[in-house]
This record gives sequence, structure tokens and C-alpha cells, in this order.
Amino acid sequence: MDNLTLSIYRKACGTLKYKLVRTTKVNKQYKKAPTAEDILADETVKALKEITNDIQDIVFKEIPTSEGIVTIIHSSSLVEKQTLEKSILIPLCDYIHQIHQLATPVDLKDFKGIIEKLVGGHTLMYFQQTHQLLSMDTYSAPTRAITDTATESTVIGPQDAFTESLQTNISLVRRRIRNPMLKNEDRILGTESNFKISILYIDDLVNKENLNKLRQRIDKVHYPIFTDISMLMQAIEDNPLSPFPQYYMSVRPDTISQYLLDGRIIIFMDNSQAAIVCPTSFFEMFTSIEDYYNRWTMASLLRMLRFFGFFLTILITPTYISALTFHPEILPYELLLNIQESRSKVPFPPIFEVLFIELIIEVLREAGSRLPTKVGQTIGIVGGIVIGTAAVEAGLVSNILIVLVAVSALLSFLPPLFLMSNTSRFVRYIFILAAGFFGLFGQMLALAWLFAHLLRIKSLGTPYMTPFIPRKATDLLDSVIRFPIAFTKGRKGISRAQKK
Amino acid sequence: MSTQTKKILNGYHVVFLVQSAMLGTAILTLPRELSAVGYSQTVFPLLFGVIASLTLWPMIWLNRKYPNENLFRINELLLGKVLGKIINVLIILQITVFIAGTITYYMDLIHSTTLPEQTNTFPLILLLLLLLYIVSGGIKSIARFCILSFFLTSGIYYFSHWAFQKGIVSHIFPLFNFNSHELFDAMKRGYLAVVGYELIMFYFPYIKEQNKAFKHALIGIWISISLCFITVFISVIYYSEWQLKNIKFSVLNLLKAGELSFIERIDVFAMTLWVFLVISTLAVYLWSAKKGMESISDKKKKYYLYILAIVIFLVIKLPFTRDFHEKLYKVNDYLVYVLIVWPIFLCIIYLLRKKQVQS
Amino acid sequence: MSRKFLFIATIFAAIFLVGCSSKEQRVPLEDVGMVGIVAFDYIDENTMQLSIAIPQYSSHAQKNTEVFSVTTELASKGIIDIEALSDKKITFSQLRVVLIDEKFARIGDLQRTIRHLYRNPAAADKVLIAIVKGVSAKELIEADYPDKPNINFYLNDILKPTINTAFNPNTNIHDFVYTGTNPVIDPIIPVIERKDQKIEISSVALFKNNKMLETISAEDAYIIQNLQKKHKIAPLSITLNQGDGTERLVFNIVKSKVNIKSNKNIDSPKLTISLVINGALIEYKGKRNSSLYTSEGLSKIENDIDKQIKNNIDQFLDKLKEYQVDPIGLSEYFRMYYNGKWTKEMTEDITSKLQIDVQVKTSIISTGTLD
Repeated sequence: MDNLTLSIYRKACGTLKYKLVRTTKVNKQYKKAPTAEDILADETVKALKEITNDIQDIVFKEIPTSEGIVTIIHSSSLVEKQTLEKSILIPLCDYIHQIHQLATPVDLKDFKGIIEKLVGGHTLMYFQQTHQLLSMDTYSAPTRAITDTATESTVIGPQDAFTESLQTNISLVRRRIRNPMLKNEDRILGTESNFKISILYIDDLVNKENLNKLRQRIDKVHYPIFTDISMLMQAIEDNPLSPFPQYYMSVRPDTISQYLLDGRIIIFMDNSQAAIVCPTSFFEMFTSIEDYYNRWTMASLLRMLRFFGFFLTILITPTYISALTFHPEILPYELLLNIQESRSKVPFPPIFEVLFIELIIEVLREAGSRLPTKVGQTIGIVGGIVIGTAAVEAGLVSNILIVLVAVSALLSFLPPLFLMSNTSRFVRYIFILAAGFFGLFGQMLALAWLFAHLLRIKSLGTPYMTPFIPRKATDLLDSVIRFPIAFTKGRKGISRAQKK
Repeated sequence: MSTQTKKILNGYHVVFLVQSAMLGTAILTLPRELSAVGYSQTVFPLLFGVIASLTLWPMIWLNRKYPNENLFRINELLLGKVLGKIINVLIILQITVFIAGTITYYMDLIHSTTLPEQTNTFPLILLLLLLLYIVSGGIKSIARFCILSFFLTSGIYYFSHWAFQKGIVSHIFPLFNFNSHELFDAMKRGYLAVVGYELIMFYFPYIKEQNKAFKHALIGIWISISLCFITVFISVIYYSEWQLKNIKFSVLNLLKAGELSFIERIDVFAMTLWVFLVISTLAVYLWSAKKGMESISDKKKKYYLYILAIVIFLVIKLPFTRDFHEKLYKVNDYLVYVLIVWPIFLCIIYLLRKKQVQS
Repeated sequence: MSRKFLFIATIFAAIFLVGCSSKEQRVPLEDVGMVGIVAFDYIDENTMQLSIAIPQYSSHAQKNTEVFSVTTELASKGIIDIEALSDKKITFSQLRVVLIDEKFARIGDLQRTIRHLYRNPAAADKVLIAIVKGVSAKELIEADYPDKPNINFYLNDILKPTINTAFNPNTNIHDFVYTGTNPVIDPIIPVIERKDQKIEISSVALFKNNKMLETISAEDAYIIQNLQKKHKIAPLSITLNQGDGTERLVFNIVKSKVNIKSNKNIDSPKLTISLVINGALIEYKGKRNSSLYTSEGLSKIENDIDKQIKNNIDQFLDKLKEYQVDPIGLSEYFRMYYNGKWTKEMTEDITSKLQIDVQVKTSIISTGTLD
């Protein structure tokens, strides 16, 4: 019993004593002596009224029914009028026995719980005559319709995407996996905001050790509010300091269903469009569900592009710096003369030249993403054509660098996971600095750091670098090269699923 | 403390730990170290392989007798606490100076090939920091890094094919064209290229399948030996005997032989990529030294690693003459040979003690 | 805790070190003069003239190549002197060609000069060497080649392996150091000449004891290439003089196979060289035009070619014997069976005593589109 409930309880006890005294005095006034419960219910409603005094959308309404006056308490912003009418008002007036069948009595000893119910969209009904406090879930906040995804669209495959409603999202998964073993555990998180998350898993596939580890981590989370699941993700990661995302995130029900069937654990959050997949390997950050929709040849090609593209994008511009400042011998003679010519007007050393143009690209991207689509396009054109060509002509950067930066910027957008593409852009700066000061040697040191880091971090206790250090030999059949569907039937080693 | 050692290393981890610890910078100059025997050096890597396999056996035998103890503890158990600790301190010193020597050596290479106009203090600090980062992850994380660096760098061997095409295979004949003095000289200087497998005595307690450890370590040894063999073989067919003797980094010049259409010089890439091999070798050594510190003080402390790193940095940067440094490293290198035959000595003590107990 | 600390420390160290090392002056690429050609000319016993050619990238420059030259005693001293002349930092990292004038090759210490470059880690091993005949090396690079883009690329292209100059040994600095220090083989270097505003490879120079001895013709140099088992596909033109008057034919070698066997005896050395050549006859001028279409006629021509090639090889080997040089490395076939130290004298001894039995087997696999 929390403090609040206790104080109400005490108050109720006081009233009870007083009333009991009165009862003995004026015995005929009551048909039946009020019990402690009744008075507690009375006081609870009073306290509710007091507490919600400043909440304008909590409505108290008294309705006369065949069982006396009933006070209806609900939040008008979370409960639609139609729902209220259909499930509360009409039954109250016409079929009151229905209410008793459907509504559940609340636990009066848990005052906090009652308030949470109220702000969670329940409707409370207080029967003044019988001192009964019932509640019914009437949550019917307006939601967005299911639309297709703007962030992870594919040409082939289902086009529906999750919405911000937890119910809708779970339903989108459940209609794909009709399996009684698909369980979902709800948790309330957020010390201030009390929102719901749901942990989905398939009971006879999921690795129990992983599941327990995840439960423990979620229980330990202590944070006032998560406005998106990506924040929760950072709170339950193994290495929060790492620049790499350690769980896959998707808004596609098909991706999520596929991972569920592989034995992973999925977390949904109310009011958050994406779901996260635990655990995930580094390589899976470069896979997309479309790889399974495409023929295996094309899928393999695309995967190779994305995966090696990641390393290219962090190495192209640093190599330009290394070659120009430290090792002109690695480039062909003719190319070097071209670069010399185009750099002859550039006043800064290559590292500042690269940093300058890389930052401009970042600025363009950031500006483009903040502006409305139509203006954003204009910004792109202005940035790409006007600044690009003008910078070369003004002699601020060499034209070869423009090509390299553009290529590496494009490559950085290849990973299907946007967080990964952001990571690649960040890591590139480390490489640029390393190359600027120690040339190729610095680059290799940075690369060694990158690999050492990737080898050390874990995703829910599983090494991040699987399947390069495969947990199962069959993982290799579905890695950089996706073998034909018949070979990719087995579950991934990283899931450590109960069934093969 | 060591009775509950967690068994974490799989078979393939052992293979690559052994392999990576052997393959460091010494292979770069192996043909030069072996140049006393001229063109006949092709057989030497194979000879080294046989010797390594033979000396590996007593190590594994001894460790199998104490499945939960590393060499430091075994020293204490067999030689008594005081003598054992003195020996352990010597081993740690040897390893520390060895690491310093290897880093100096590699930094020299980097300095002369890729960063000629720069002091090596900052690259050195970065290298040490990186080393600390990898070692602090524990032996399994080191093993993973070893696997990765092997696969990343094995591609370099492809680029020696130009030298192979240009070479004249008949150089390797006659196979045994040397006298005993030359043989001894080449053995003494060249065997350094294959040391490193003796570190298995330090991480043996962590191996899961200890009864198969000998087999796995052998695989590791022979992977390294075959790479040494390829290096020496291609050097022999590509160079003249004068070149074998006078070219400092023969692998570097082997890679200079060819070019790709978009990259003119593979040697620059290869030499900087070699940092992976250097780090993976040194990580195993540094980890062993840290274990030694722990066994001496009977405590597990993270800062031992930092102390070691600082000592290494100081050894490299001590304001002694270059000559002194070179001598220090050379003497230290020969001490490795003592460490390799050391287990044989321990085995004898073990057997003697056992007999005493029985009688 | 310490893991996180290390992680952050690594990143920050990288960032902070940026500030530290920016003190060091690093020359950006556009201020680097990338030497394409180095030329050595003989002045006297101690001094030489060192010239370098640097391509000019600027479109405003009048000439596309800058040439600097100094008189110096040591190559490295010369480079420093040139840096004082030039506005750029001189680097050898893109060096392509080393030119040597004939006098330097004959008298100067070429091996030491080349080794200086060989030791320089910036210079690649595949820098090609050529001897300049007629003019000095400096004059050759300073001369005008109106219809050629840039002397740096032009010279490199000439010296690079091509089908039409299959006789060119393409000696690079590694080859020169290798052959110069290997007792069983003597270096050869192509000789270039300037003719009518063009440069051509005219012959190949033989070296003995690291000094230039004699030049040999392209045909003879081609034999060296062939016997060294460098299978080059190249047209071979032969003049037959085997009873049917003078016949000329051009033979395109598709495949050639050399097998050299020694008797392993260094006191009375004997080598058996068998040469199998498969090729296509692409041009024929002579009396036996009609017999090209019968198999008997062809086999007779094949026989005649065999004899002619054998003749040529024999003559060439006799010449080598006379000079006591071994550019093919024939003594390697004795060294590989000899236990002990091999010396230069033994090679000379073998070369002078060597008996060679040459067997040639030619087969014409097609007569192409001849009529």
C-alpha cells in the first residue's frame, strides 16, 4: 500500500468511526450498516475528484440508473464518445446487468493503480447506492491508419508498416504468425510517463537465457520518459558507449515476423513506430527483408554492396588524404598529375579540404531533412550543383575530391538501418583524422581499433561479429552471399533457438 | 584462485592464438636472418617446424599435469615459492623487453617506409593504447582478433605472385649447401621467426578441450611454418644471394615487384596492414605478462596492464644509444630460447619429485 | 569501467594528437615535384652530371617538363642541390626511368649508383633502366619531341614490355641489382637512341663485371629472352638461306618451350638446349610460295627454319663465349648441382669451356590468311 492509499484509508477509517457512531444513534437511516469497504470506496471517489481537479479532460458524470445513481469517471481525450456511449452509457441505462458482467471491480487498496487506469483510458463507474467501484477498458484514443512505410520501403513484398499504436502493431505481427506459442509480455516503463512496452517472443523457440537477461535489463531501466523505442534501445544495450547500434530496428511487420520465427525477442513500445530485435549481429545490420524476396543472385550482390560499401565509405576519403599527404607513390602517375593540377589552386592541406567538404555534405543532409520535402529537394540541388561546382571553380576543393566525397556519401546511405548509416558517417571522421596525421598507418590503426571494438561488443550477450566468427556453420550460407532459399532454412546461430 | 579458471577457448581459438603469436615482425626479415646459408635456406622453415613441434610436446605434457595452472604457477609449485617467483619475474621482464623490441622494430619499418618525416612517439602511444584496449578484453577477445587479423592479412600473400613468376626455381638447389657453422648461425638467428608458440603455457588453463590442445597447437604452428616457408621460398627464387644478405625487409621488396592498375605500390599497404599481425602477436605476449604480474602478487588488478604499458613505453623511449637498444633486444631474443627449453627442465623436476613421493 | 575509459581515451587521444602533429610541416601534394626520369652523365672519375625530369601539371607552364641538372659526386648530394634549385620538394616516389649515358655505363660505377636508388624506400623496384647512345642522357630528356605528350610518359611507354619490342629485357633496378650481384648471370640493359625526333630501342648492352662491354642486336637479344624461358608472344622475322635462295618470313610465335639440360660436370660442361616453337607463318617472301599449301612443303620449311634458328643461336652463343659473358644465366644449370660456394670466376670458366648442343623443333600451326 503506497502512502496515498494509506492516507485515504486513514481518512476512511475516521469517517467509518464517525459513521458507526451515527449509525448507532440514527439506526433507521440506513438499511444496512456501511462496511469498511463501502466507506473506502466512497473516500476513494472523493480523493479521485480532488486529485483530478486540475485535469480538465477527466469527466465526472452522474447518471441515474435502476440501481441508483452511478458516477462515471473517464478521460474525454482517451475515450471516444462513441465508445463511451456504446459500452457504458447505453448498457447502464438499458441493460445494467451487462455492466456487472463485463466490468471488473477495482482494487480499492491500490489507489495509484486506479489513477493509472483512469489516465490509461479506463472508465470508472461508481455505484453510489451499493458502493461499488467498477472499471472497464474503454481506451479508444484516435490512431493513425496503417500506411506503407516511408523509411524502409521495398519494391517487392508487403507494403504495410507499423503505426504508433501498440495494439495495431501486435495485431500486424499476429496475423502473420498464427501460433499459440507467440507470447507477449506487457510492461509499464518510464518513471513518470507510465507507458506500455510489449516483449514478443515465440515460447518454444526463444532462448530462455536471453529472455531472462532482457527482462532483467528492462526491469533495471530507470528513466523518466522514452519518446521512441530507439531511446529504450540505448538503455538496454550491452555497450551504450559504442557508436554502433546493437539491436536491429524495423517498422516492417514482415521483418519483425521473420526475426521472431528465428527465435529472437522483439520489443514493441506504445507510441513508437519501430520495434527492436534482440540480439542482432553486426552483419544483420546490412540485411534487408527484401534480400529474401529477390532472387539469390541479386540479393547476394546487393548484400555485398552494402557490406563492403560500409568499409568503403569509411575508407575512401581517408585514403585520399593519406595518398596526398604521405604516400603519393600509391597512385598512378597520370592520376597524380591530375590531382596536382586540380589541387594547385586549393589553399589548404588535404585534411582540411576533406573535412570542409564532408561537413558541407553533413550540413546539406541535415538541412534537407529538416525542411519540407519540396524545399528539401531544392536544397539538394543548390547544394549539389551550385556549391559543388562553385567550390571547385573557386579553388576551395579539388574536383576529384568532390567525386570521392559524393560516392562515399552515397555509400553511407546503403545500409537499410539508418542508425548504421549514421554510425558509418561518424566513424569516417575518426578515420579522416587518423589518416591526416599518420597516413595509411593511422588508417590501419583506426581499422584495427574498429575491428577490435566490433569483436568486443556484444548484443544481448552474443558476440556482435557473428557470423564472421560463426556460431554455426550454416550461418555462412546466409551471410554476405545469400544462398538459395533451400539453404537458408535453418535458424541463425545468434538466436540460440531451442529448435534447430 | 586458479582452480576455478573458466574454460573459454575453443579449438580454433587455440589454433589462431598459436599461429598469431608466432607470426609477427620476425618473418619480414627471415630471409636475411637465414642468409648465412644462402640459397639453401628453403629447408629451414620446415626444420624449424619440426623443432617447434618437438619442443611443443613437453610444454603440453607439463600443462596437462596441471590443467588449471599456467606456467607461472607451475614454476612456483615445482621450484618452490621463492625461486619460482624469481623465475617468473625474469619471464615477465623478458616478455616486456620482447614486446618493446618488436614495437621498436616495427616502428623502424614504418618510419623508413611510410612515415619518413615523422617522430614515432605519437604513433607509438596510439599503438600501445590500442594494444591495451585489445588485451583488456581478455584472452578470448584476443583470440578473436587473432583470427580476424590472420584472414585480413593472408591476402597479402597473393601479391607475392609477381615475384614468384619472375623467380627462378632452380635457386633452391642444391638443398643442403652449407656447413655446420653456417647452419648454427642461421638456426640461431632465424628461429626467432617461429617463437611464440611457447605462450600456450600461459593460456593453457583456459582451453576447453585440453586433450586436443596439442593437435590444435600443431595446426597453428604449421600454418605459421607454411607462411614462413612461402616467404623464404619466394625470396630465394627472386633474389640473388647478395640481395638476401643485404635487403633488410625482404617481404617489403617482394611486394614491390608488382603493381595493380589503380594501386601502384602494394608494399605500402601491406606494411601498414602488418600492424594487425604485430598487434595480435603482442596482445598475446602482453596478456601473458599481465597474468605473470597477477600470479606474483596473487591479486587480480587491472592497473598491472597499464604499468606494463608504461614500462614498455619507457624501454622503447629510454635515452640510450641505438646500439645499446639493439644489444638489449638481441640478448633478450636469445633468452626466448631458454624459455622454450625451460619446460623440459621442469618436466625432469616433475618426474624426480614424483619419484621421491613414490619412494 | 576501465573498458569504457580505454574506449574514450583511444578516441580522445586520436583527436588531441591531431593538434600535436600539425606542428610538423608536411608538404602538400601540389608542392611536390615527382621525378619521372633520372639521368646520369659521365664527367670524370669522381663527378657526374645528375639530371632529373619533373612533369609540369600547370597549364600555364610553357613546357610540360621541367629539367634540372647539377654536377655532383654523390647521387644523394645531387638531389639536395637540385632541391635548392627547384621550388618544389623532390621525391622519387614516382620515378619511372633511369637513363645512363654510354660512357657512364662503360667506365662509371653503375652498380653503386643504381643501388643508391634501390635502397631508397620511396622508389619502386620497377624503375626501368636504359642506356643512351649518341647523345648525353641530359640532352635526350631536354630534346623536343613535338608529337609526344610528355617525355616522362613517353620514355616509360617505350621501355615497357610490348609485343613489338619483345627483345627488350625491360631491365629494372631490381633486375640490375639481381643480375649484377648474382655470380651466374650478367646484366643486360636496353640501349635507346634519338632518331628523327623520336626515341627508339636500338640494341641491348652486355655487361661484364658491372661495366658495359658490347651491344648486341635485337635479334640476338631476342634469343636471350627466349632461352631465359620468358615466354613472350612476339613476331620473329627470319631470313632463310638454306638452298632455295634468300627467303624472308615473319613468324608469329604462339608458344615456345625451352628445355635446358646440363651434364652436371663443371670440368667439362655441356648443355643440351631443346627449343620447341609453335607459331603461325604470317608473311613469306621467296621462291617456295606454292609449297606453303602442301604438308610436305610446310615440313620442309619447318626443317629449314629449325636449321636457321639453330644456326643463329649457335652463332650468338659463340659470340658470348668470346666475350666470356653469360647474360642468359646458363651457368645456373651447373651451380644447382654444385655443393659449395659459387664464384664469378667459376661462371667465367664455365662460359669459356661450355659446349652447347642446340636442338630446335618448329611447327607451323597455321599459315594464317596467306595466299
